[in-house]
Amino acid sequence: MEEHIVLRDLDVPGIDDIDTYMAHGGYETLKRALKEMSPEDVTQVVAASGLRGRGGAGFPTGRKWMFLPKGVYPRYLVVNAAEGEPGTFKDRQILEHNPHQLLEGIILTAYAIEAETAYIYMRGEYLKALSQIQMAIQAAHERGFLGNNILGTDFSCHVYLHREGGAYICGEETALLNSLEGRLGQPRVKPPFPAAKGLYQKPTIINNVETLTNIAPIVEKGADWFRSFGTEQSPGTKIYALSGHIRRPGNYELPMSVTLRELIYDYGGGIPGDREVKAVIPGGVSAPALTREHLDITMDFNSLMEAGSMLGSGAVIVFDETTDMAWAAHRMMRFFSQESCGKCSPCREGTYWIVNIMTDLMRGTGDVSDIALLEAVASQIQGNTLCPLGDAAAGGPTLSTLKHFQEDYIAHVPVISSQ
Amino acid sequence: MSDRNEKLVTVIIDGIEIRVPPGVMVVEAAKQAGIEIPVFCYHPKLTPVGMCRMCLGEVGLPARDRETGEIQVDDAGNPIIRWFPKLQTTCTTRVSDGMVIRTQSEQVAFARRAVLEFLLSSHPLDCPVCDKGGECPLQDLTYSYGPGRSRFDYEDKFHFEKPVPLGPLIALDRERCIQCARCTRFQDEVAGDPVLSFENRGRGMEIVTYSDPPFNSKFSGNTTDICPVGALTSRDFRFRGRAWELTNTRSICPHCAVGCNIIVGHRAGEIRRIMPRENNAVNEIWICDKGRFGHHFVNSADRIKTPMIRKGGRLVIVEWQEALEYTAARLREVRAEYGPEALGGLSGDRASNEDLYVFQRFVRTALGSNNLDQWRPLQDVAGSELVAQVGVGSGTNLMDLGAGDAILVVGADVEEEGPILYLRMKQASERGAYLAVVNGRPTKLARYAEDAPIIRYGGEAHFVLGLLKVMFEENLTDSEFVAQRTEGIDEWIAGLAQYDLAALADGASVSVDDLQRIARTLAQAQNLIVSYGHDALVAGSGPALIRALANLLLVTGHVGRANNGLLPILPHNNSQGAADMGVSPLWLPGYRPLDDEAARRHLTEVWGDELPSSPGLDAGAMVQGGLRSLFVMGADPVGDRPDLRQVFEELDFLVVQELFMTDTARMADVVLPAAAFAERDGTFTNAERRVQRFWEGVDPPGVARPDWEILTDLAHLMGHRFGYADAEDVMEEISQVVPVYAGMQYSQLGGEAPFGIRTRLHFVYEGTSFVSPDQETGRQWPVAAEDEKVRLPISWIAPSEMPAGDPDYPLLLVPQKRLYDDGTLIERSRILEAWVPPPVIYINHADARRFGVEDGDPVAVTSPSGDTKLTAKVGGRVPAGIALIPLGLLGSGVWRLGIDRGIVKGRLAPVKEAVVAPES
Repeated sequence: MEEHIVLRDLDVPGIDDIDTYMAHGGYETLKRALKEMSPEDVTQVVAASGLRGRGGAGFPTGRKWMFLPKGVYPRYLVVNAAEGEPGTFKDRQILEHNPHQLLEGIILTAYAIEAETAYIYMRGEYLKALSQIQMAIQAAHERGFLGNNILGTDFSCHVYLHREGGAYICGEETALLNSLEGRLGQPRVKPPFPAAKGLYQKPTIINNVETLTNIAPIVEKGADWFRSFGTEQSPGTKIYALSGHIRRPGNYELPMSVTLRELIYDYGGGIPGDREVKAVIPGGVSAPALTREHLDITMDFNSLMEAGSMLGSGAVIVFDETTDMAWAAHRMMRFFSQESCGKCSPCREGTYWIVNIMTDLMRGTGDVSDIALLEAVASQIQGNTLCPLGDAAAGGPTLSTLKHFQEDYIAHVPVISSQ
Repeated sequence: MSDRNEKLVTVIIDGIEIRVPPGVMVVEAAKQAGIEIPVFCYHPKLTPVGMCRMCLGEVGLPARDRETGEIQVDDAGNPIIRWFPKLQTTCTTRVSDGMVIRTQSEQVAFARRAVLEFLLSSHPLDCPVCDKGGECPLQDLTYSYGPGRSRFDYEDKFHFEKPVPLGPLIALDRERCIQCARCTRFQDEVAGDPVLSFENRGRGMEIVTYSDPPFNSKFSGNTTDICPVGALTSRDFRFRGRAWELTNTRSICPHCAVGCNIIVGHRAGEIRRIMPRENNAVNEIWICDKGRFGHHFVNSADRIKTPMIRKGGRLVIVEWQEALEYTAARLREVRAEYGPEALGGLSGDRASNEDLYVFQRFVRTALGSNNLDQWRPLQDVAGSELVAQVGVGSGTNLMDLGAGDAILVVGADVEEEGPILYLRMKQASERGAYLAVVNGRPTKLARYAEDAPIIRYGGEAHFVLGLLKVMFEENLTDSEFVAQRTEGIDEWIAGLAQYDLAALADGASVSVDDLQRIARTLAQAQNLIVSYGHDALVAGSGPALIRALANLLLVTGHVGRANNGLLPILPHNNSQGAADMGVSPLWLPGYRPLDDEAARRHLTEVWGDELPSSPGLDAGAMVQGGLRSLFVMGADPVGDRPDLRQVFEELDFLVVQELFMTDTARMADVVLPAAAFAERDGTFTNAERRVQRFWEGVDPPGVARPDWEILTDLAHLMGHRFGYADAEDVMEEISQVVPVYAGMQYSQLGGEAPFGIRTRLHFVYEGTSFVSPDQETGRQWPVAAEDEKVRLPISWIAPSEMPAGDPDYPLLLVPQKRLYDDGTLIERSRILEAWVPPPVIYINHADARRFGVEDGDPVAVTSPSGDTKLTAKVGGRVPAGIALIPLGLLGSGVWRLGIDRGIVKGRLAPVKEAVVAPES
């Protein structure tokens, strides 16, 4: 990889400083766009680029913007910086080290969707990111890139930073909106979708940090340039946050044509002790686990979907052959149970129940029927919940580990010696 | 009314094709098709949230060609259905044309069993000791859809301390809560008191109240009805009986003039609980907490149980025979010695129509006097005669009001005076109706008003005349209607011409702009309802104001139709009926003047008795002294006005027919025990003139009897045969002699039709309120404006002059009517005590500084007629120069200020010692 699109801080030290950012072409795209492009033009470029949302769902960004109902104002842009998916730390690097590129993307997006207000909903624990973004907003204001009549045009844009209270569910877009409005952080029923009725019941676009950080380069260099990376269905690069049993954990920005094997061995340096891969979760703990059989699939949205998992946030967690996957699932399920908002009954009760059963197994007080019960309870959650959290908990840690690593569960069942 | 048949869509539910309005939720469409979809969080009156997931169903839409939008069909010509990949919550899915829904598939059955198993995994299953048992959706739906056994380890259940008080009236059992958010949504959306919320997350999520005092809402009891489990229960009914053991009697709430339909649930002769009964024209499925919890007076141990006669200075218990014979003899003696003019009758306005009708007949014939009136604190004003002219038209239902319609409320605190009416006005405003709330102080309803000017107390009539002035100046009146249907307009225009707009605006202390804006909106409203209440009456603008409001309705043609006209917020449950029945020194039953010969002839014929012809004394005159004997039914003049003690002591013979030993009863020569509302049959007429039947449920205490029955026997002993065998007989006669009550026989008022058969489905969808088969019971009597042939008089009453300021008395002392006071009925519901304030006076910060008073200080309050001590409450939203004094609080002694009859001027001074304890 010659150059990074999103993690430009790796190529340009100190790019978090506005002068450095500008010295490397920063805010030039914004200036040009406000002068030469209509909001529709910006939307068209982004739509043509095939950029898909980097928050987890992978929905085409340009198409999302086009869902805004005509003629309804005000509109809001909400930046989802509530990076809470375990294993995920990609947005953090952008927020801490490349904040202006994000901000330029926010302003361009606000221009494209005709929003004059943008909220950054930021994970509460990201203290450095908070101060970096705060300083970036201030610097952008001082240079006239934010505020009223930006660069002498009719376009005004104000960006507000909101610190999240520490709930995983508030990364779900509608729970995020409720929280931002000061309500209980619980998801809303869809429809209506946020594009139609979002923040304060007004048309709202919610985009992920990484998604928005792609916007300025796309507008600058064009859709064809962007499509020269990655695959047909998943153009561009993706930050893979590599963690777990891996020699060189960290963020890797790579075209989405990279395979899992390349990611682990070529970039991540393989597994400590040269042990074998047992399982990989390719998209944060919500994504179903894969096995070493899957190492040659490309890390794009569609390939992972076909393999029965998902790209999700791009958090790749590697488990080596020494891992007890039942134990790992128990850890992950405790997280989901803790973070279930409680709004819908299958998730609220089901995740709790699963944790209870798994705890029994871990303590050695379970029995073999518990394994079937785990599967039954997870199937009763799956497909029946209000938002993706419950589905993810059931389909991710529980059902995928039961499917691929059932022997790890059986190993926890006490052996009753026959007389 | 829009055409209901327009634009229906066709949906297929479980193979049944049904046409429904577009946009209704699938669950409602299914109900219409006779298909039951189980729900917990869904409630037809609340915003759907899709939380419980019980109502999941398979939903599909016809596939459409992307280019043409045409529905694609298969080889057989049937539309191709694209099914949603996941089950959908049918409570949040709106129907659209061609939608196909499956609710009976194996997938759906699996999901329902799954959700039930989940819900039961955190539920204690303590049904044997749960008050909800027998009317519990969780029980019933588990019975229908649930798995027979749970795979959840019982030891893993959550356990909490149970129950905890959520407020003074409601208990919360956290284990039982299934987190459906019905209660929080009810408080947010229906009650408008967002005092409940969820706290914590996931399985730890619990209901909490954020208000101080806790659960501060007048509608809290309704949450126990719609709670689909036993998480919220009434602290009053807790462990007081199983739902299925109660006998449920249809009744009407005996408190305010809204007339909510209720169910009296009783057992072993005792009322155990009051529940709402559906009536979409009155209370929908709600009642306020006063109605629900304020029933304890009925079974109070201190009810009068036997007749008593004063012997040797003491009241002693006697048999009915002796009491009645003695009373008859003494009344005849007084009549013989001093003439009928020396006798008089006072009644409260809480008794039934039947009692009040027989009472006036008794006073007019057996006593032979027109000294006959209701005892009300606000004697002079009611506006009943104008209501008979221009009251809200028959068929009025506030639920029908929406965009394009308007409501004007002048001088009323509707939340305190008629809580359910408050909810309905709030809802009308939320549906788009224009609401203007005009008062001398901010009230809660003003939150929902588009215009809510704070005007000068006493300037209410100026305000309305100002609106009328604008309407005439800008030609906004309905001149055709005025010409064809009214008379007297010229005289009235001449009266109004004496005032210019600026002077009227100044009188009300509002801007001309405000008057113009409000007048234009009201005049152009499709439907207009105009209300007034206690604040307007105490402000002293009564007759001029009510006349002006009636004129406003007349000149804009907003009368004689449903949802148009005058809707006074009367003080009590049967204030309207008392006037209708002719409990008045001036008019006969049905508002016919004493000198109406035809009416007199008819009454004489029916009664077989002579009628006194000379006008009698009104209540105010009767308590001036001079009478020899008074018959008081259901009223406590001495308790209300201790200064009247002297007058009552001077009477030769005082009869009091009562539920309780009131101050007046203690002075009586004869005390006759009456039956309470739940102990007898009868009717009440609410503020909308809806005559509503209630039924006998429990037995009266001791030998107490219905008022009409006592009076009938007494009359008989005095030589007047009334001949009523039961309450129905009385109403039969009323329907003959009170023209507007024609057709109000009991058979027409709900009869013996089956009622209250709450099915499991009803518990599930609505809650435990009771169903009425026809949903609307009771009948409104028609006003004169509804008769096309009647010409309606418009007359001029000048607004009273604004009193000049008085440096000695710089404050206006404004009496406030509160829902919860220490009145005879509420005092005995101890559970409501928490909501009854101590004797207080509310003033704002500027006035507090002026008088050197701080919050919580004892103060001496002085008016020209006397003084009393109260505790100052500083702040709130009282305007400068106004001191608000709640009425009816124990020990307040505020009668000495003279404010029970209206606003007086006054002043405050701090006092050293604390406010002394109750004196009465």
